[in-house]
Amino acid sequence: MAEILVLDDVLDATVLVGKILTRKGHVVHTFTEEDAALDFVRTHPVDLAILDIKLQKMSGIEVLRLMKQAVPDMHAIMLTGYPTVETAREAVNLGADEYCVKPIDKQELEDKVAKILEGRSGRI
Amino acid sequence: MDHGREYRYLQVFHQVTRMISMVRDPRQVMTNIVHSLPELLAIDACTIRLLDQASGTFVLGAAAGLSPEYLARPDVDSRETIAMVASGHPVALSAVADSPHRPFREAALREGIESVLTLPIAFQERVIGIMRLLTRTPRVFAGDEILFSVALAEQVGIAISNGRMFRQLEQQVDFLHELQSISQLVNSTLDLDMVLQTIVELLPRSLRAQGCTIRLLTPPAKELVLAAAAGLSREYLDRGEVVDEKNTIQALRGQAVAIQDVARDDRVLYHEHMEKEGIRSLLAVPIKVMDEVIGIIRVLARESRTFSEAEIDFSLAVAEAGGSAITNARTYRKITLLFNQIEEHERFLANILDCIRPQLLVVDRQGRAVMANRAFLETNGRQEAEVLGMEYGRLCQAAAEDPPCPVRQVLVTGRMAVSVQQVQAEDGTRWYERTATPMTGDSGEVEFVIEIIRDITAQRRLEAEQAERSKLAGVIEMAGAVAHEINSPLFAALGTAQMLEGDLAGGELEEDIGTVVRNLKTISELTAKMTIMTGYSSRDYVGETRIVNL
Repeated sequence: MAEILVLDDVLDATVLVGKILTRKGHVVHTFTEEDAALDFVRTHPVDLAILDIKLQKMSGIEVLRLMKQAVPDMHAIMLTGYPTVETAREAVNLGADEYCVKPIDKQELEDKVAKILEGRSGRI
Repeated sequence: MDHGREYRYLQVFHQVTRMISMVRDPRQVMTNIVHSLPELLAIDACTIRLLDQASGTFVLGAAAGLSPEYLARPDVDSRETIAMVASGHPVALSAVADSPHRPFREAALREGIESVLTLPIAFQERVIGIMRLLTRTPRVFAGDEILFSVALAEQVGIAISNGRMFRQLEQQVDFLHELQSISQLVNSTLDLDMVLQTIVELLPRSLRAQGCTIRLLTPPAKELVLAAAAGLSREYLDRGEVVDEKNTIQALRGQAVAIQDVARDDRVLYHEHMEKEGIRSLLAVPIKVMDEVIGIIRVLARESRTFSEAEIDFSLAVAEAGGSAITNARTYRKITLLFNQIEEHERFLANILDCIRPQLLVVDRQGRAVMANRAFLETNGRQEAEVLGMEYGRLCQAAAEDPPCPVRQVLVTGRMAVSVQQVQAEDGTRWYERTATPMTGDSGEVEFVIEIIRDITAQRRLEAEQAERSKLAGVIEMAGAVAHEINSPLFAALGTAQMLEGDLAGGELEEDIGTVVRNLKTISELTAKMTIMTGYSSRDYVGETRIVNL
């Protein structure tokens, strides 16, 4: 079981990811606003953050940088509806584990999360 | 007086009159008279002396029956006698031995002269000379004889004056001929140096002088500069400035200056140089044009001489003719210079126009070409000589679908006109921008039209490419935006449907939810294609509408 944070400006998308991963036994915290998500990361343990790149105020890349500054060991999956080489390169450089293009298949999402979290367990 | 004597006087008078009427040269008149009178009047000798205006003395003009020694004596007679004759009265001296004037008395006695009658030679009540009748035997001149001799002397005066006037007239005619010939020469050329050289060579020849110089006031400082010289050494010419010489100053004020003896005249500065050059006399005259002095001419003679009024007038006339010729030559030189400058500017302008890449054509009011640059000639494959004067319509033929000709528009409206002409060439469509600009005269009417023809094909093609690129960028951006905006809700919809699919497995709605999942996946495949678009092709949709081929 892991603490997972989901941040997307589309509420339904956060609800969906929450439902999928809750069924897998994880504790999922969903957000549509960046500031609330950042506050949460700074005050709660988070194992994995699933971040959309296009947000309301800042970009998902910027949010990732700030979250990594607060919790360097935190894992991250970046989600985007419009992938670009620039955002992919920046995300990887900031330590993102995956860069996925929406709409991601439910199974694929479950597999990627499981794989990342397994790696975490291994590291421990 | 007896009749025989009267008859003899008449005969003498007739002979003298006849003689002087046949001779025009005053010197010849005098010689004839002095040689004829002794026989006619029964005397032994006769002299004629003429008044020298400059010295006020009577100078020997002709003599007969006397020795050179007698004639060479310094004084003619006593001052009283001369003064009496000069005032118009005859003086008779019957016995020379009684003369109170010793030099004359002694000279006359040596010559064997006994009696002398001195008569005034008058013309128009002015004494111009004296005539003396001398005898070697004592003689008392009777009243009628004296009266007759006075009348004879008056006749001589008339003859001498006529001769002088005739000579002056002859001289003036000669001067007129020479003036005409000099004027012709100086006006036959517009070469300034040739004009000046002609004057300095011909003027001294006419005046029996040896040298001549012309100095001109050169603008803008009006400095007096030697412009031409003849018959003078380089050393003399280089002696220094003459602008401070009084004769120069006077000539520059417009007056003629004649100096008989330059060695003793304070109107000349370079006495030593003149002496070394052998110059004795000088004549300086102004060169005038429309009352303005533009320089001076100086005529220099190697013998001490006076310049007569006729000679001075002649020199002034030559200077005036020279002045006009100099002005003409200067004007011609200026015009030539200006013309050369204009030609140079024209060449420069033509070079500029030839270097301009667009075609350039200038058309006059009548619609005929008056100028075309190299680009125009090369593009149209024509020669300049062929183009100039050609009717505009023949030069630039327009197709029916072409826009209105801008040159014709300018000729009608007087305002600038622009049009773009499309031409089908071997390498595809070419575009030409034709700009016609009016060139108006002082009255505001269009005098010429300047047409500039620019090949804007490259520009047009670039614009088309840019439009295409911008359209592509728009399409790609639109595709990206659509993909992005659709993918998040699509993710939510597809994921939720997939979860339902699992929940409804085995139930009656399993097939329906499967249809939803399958179609949402088809949409997701299309949005995936849209996100990776870098170019596009279109395909027909309905009617005129075309859509992007994904």
